[in-house]
Amino acid sequence: MLFTSIIFACFFTVFFLLHWCVFSGNVRLQNLLVLAGSYLFYAWWDWHFVFLLIGSSLLNYLLGIGIYKTKNEKYRSLLLWIGLAQGLGCLLFFKYFNFFLQSFTGDFAALHIILPLGISFYTFRTLSYLLDIKHRKVEPATDWVVFFSYVSFFPSLISGPIDRPGLLMPQLVNKRIFNSAQASDGLRQILWGLFKKIVIADNSATFTNDVFAHYHTLPASALLFAMFLFTIQVYADFSGYSDIAIGLASLLGFKITRNFNYPFFAQNIADFWRRWHISLTGWMTDYVFTPLSVYFRDYGKWGLTLAILINFTLIGIWHGANWTFIFFGFLNGCLFIPLIIRGTLNKKKKVQQRPFRTFLNMAGMFLLLMFTFLIFRADSLAMAFDCYRKLFSVSLFSAFPITEKVNMAAALIAIIIMFWAEWKQRDKQHALQIEFVQKRPVRMLIYYGLVCFILVFSATNITDFVYFKF
Amino acid sequence: MTKPVNKFLLKALLFALPVFVLFELMFRLGLWPVITNSGLFDAKVRHIKQQHVGDIKLMAIGSSITLYELKSDLVKQNFDIPYYNFASWGIQVSDMRVVLNDYVNEYHPKYVIMCATLGEFRGAANESYLNYFNTPRFIRNNLPEYFYFKNYNSIHQLIWRKYFEYPINFDRWGGAPLTIKRKDINRKMWDAHDVFPTRYTQANYIALDSIARFLSAKGVKFIFAQAPIKKSYANTPLYQQRLQAHFDKCRQIIESHGGIYLNYYSTAVFTDSLFVDQYHLQDAGARIFTTEVIGNLKSIIK
Repeated sequence: MLFTSIIFACFFTVFFLLHWCVFSGNVRLQNLLVLAGSYLFYAWWDWHFVFLLIGSSLLNYLLGIGIYKTKNEKYRSLLLWIGLAQGLGCLLFFKYFNFFLQSFTGDFAALHIILPLGISFYTFRTLSYLLDIKHRKVEPATDWVVFFSYVSFFPSLISGPIDRPGLLMPQLVNKRIFNSAQASDGLRQILWGLFKKIVIADNSATFTNDVFAHYHTLPASALLFAMFLFTIQVYADFSGYSDIAIGLASLLGFKITRNFNYPFFAQNIADFWRRWHISLTGWMTDYVFTPLSVYFRDYGKWGLTLAILINFTLIGIWHGANWTFIFFGFLNGCLFIPLIIRGTLNKKKKVQQRPFRTFLNMAGMFLLLMFTFLIFRADSLAMAFDCYRKLFSVSLFSAFPITEKVNMAAALIAIIIMFWAEWKQRDKQHALQIEFVQKRPVRMLIYYGLVCFILVFSATNITDFVYFKF
Repeated sequence: MTKPVNKFLLKALLFALPVFVLFELMFRLGLWPVITNSGLFDAKVRHIKQQHVGDIKLMAIGSSITLYELKSDLVKQNFDIPYYNFASWGIQVSDMRVVLNDYVNEYHPKYVIMCATLGEFRGAANESYLNYFNTPRFIRNNLPEYFYFKNYNSIHQLIWRKYFEYPINFDRWGGAPLTIKRKDINRKMWDAHDVFPTRYTQANYIALDSIARFLSAKGVKFIFAQAPIKKSYANTPLYQQRLQAHFDKCRQIIESHGGIYLNYYSTAVFTDSLFVDQYHLQDAGARIFTTEVIGNLKSIIK
């Protein structure tokens, strides 16, 4: 059930009416509805894995209570390790087992394992829940419905954002009151997410998929253009999904974690990762990088570098079982080294003071991203290096064919609109927060313009969200 | 229902209403209904409904080759039996398996004829056909808009198809003429030399096998006619070899399930002047082709 499908629209309409019109005022019934809706949403893809979700939720619920109530520190640690072993064990089995088998034993008779949708996302939720209880940052859920709903909350179940228990669980406990302004803002954010996904990401995908499938027969210029488009496609796809997820949660009265903060306006790599997939980088910073940097603190800049390299390699591995992702993460870690040496890792650059320098930094950063995202996109490291090699050829200046010209033109126009709107709105949560436009007809014109743009120029082939496979 | 929720729902409905009305107006009064991503299948479905096609004896199925090259008037002159050409542009053999599964049960044919060339074995299956046939009949018949959303045909593509692509004028039996003046022939398409086989070819062979088995099980006689190809296509020994391998493969599949395999690949009869591109015949060429097919069918169709 894709967020962009008509079946989801029907599902959510019914869900919304039940949530606010039938069960309004009774938070437990609303939570039961959230839980049932989430399991239905998940079962639509494959009902077998609902049992894994329920089992994981049940175990972590009991472990959370156990960790909280136990006074003995060793016993608390043991319970935590059981939880970590279960979460990471499932991830290792479903996501990485075949990869390790093939990489280290060369055994190609791998098991036929289906990756449960969203496992990386909900596992990280349960892990942060246990870790936060262990560190006494949160108290365990007393109501199982609250915890099960927290783990399986459908707007962010499949592709995040990865919500922390401290943010989402209190909202599940407290009484929800319908807020018209929040709901309207949610609708606007959904519209902006659809625009990014359907017009930009899917139209770009038509071209990039074709180029990466036949890159060896196409000129380097086509590859370079595909790299440019793919960088934007990943952003439009994933941030579009996150916008829709946040918008849906807003419609239900929830405020969930922001996942993107206009990453293409980043001034350097550290700034970029503070703005890109914020819920994952935040999670990794709190539970991996910070403990590691404390552990290595005696080694100064070397220790910091090591902590960052481990952290980013793990972020790479989180994305999937492929050497490309591992190398992607490691490479991003390496890009931090100049900042560590100069001692500017945590310094935030002021955007407004030197506009030309700001623009140059952003352009340079974008160029760097184009080259690193090539590894992210490639099927193998060999393909990635082959693409890099191909870029240094005379065909870089050759013309290349574009089959879907209108779609491409639409995508490029939409990209310009997106960059312009997001730059103008960079201090807002999303680009469609346009309350500053005083005249209501002008605002309506903007909304209708976007709807028409989506209807007229949507891509013919709707692709799955890129982050579904993670 | 609380007052703020009511107000919000009303505002959302009022916002959506003009979009919905505009879309319905365009859909019902302006543009053709869109059912799949194929440029023509949607139009063919509409034609089938308009012609009130009931039970038929001879069913033609396939892509543009069957659509353009099997001349309905000649078929009707020679066989006084219920006949309809269900072919639509761009369809692959894998898609035909999906289409036939439904059409055979609905129209109960005794004979199914498929005129095909290499093009039907080159591409991937299109999920839209499956979407269409998996949808409840009521929605299929009454709410074709559903497919617009489900398959995301963007409006600019509908406009492009309707006003800028080669117009399709069906005859009463679902066939269509193809006549392009020599001076108007697209040089690029004329000189094109499609790669064959592709990575989808094997899947299409499997689908052909499945079709032949399915029709045999249903007691329907399956006739596969290999359509002519322009002489210049097989201009190297390698391509001649590949073409022969394709013919042999199709023959083996069809005949193993009791079907009839006919091959009209003849560069002597179908000279280049009869083509509009590497596969498609001009109307004059199509009449020669249909006449030859009918000659063979006379001993098969009782």
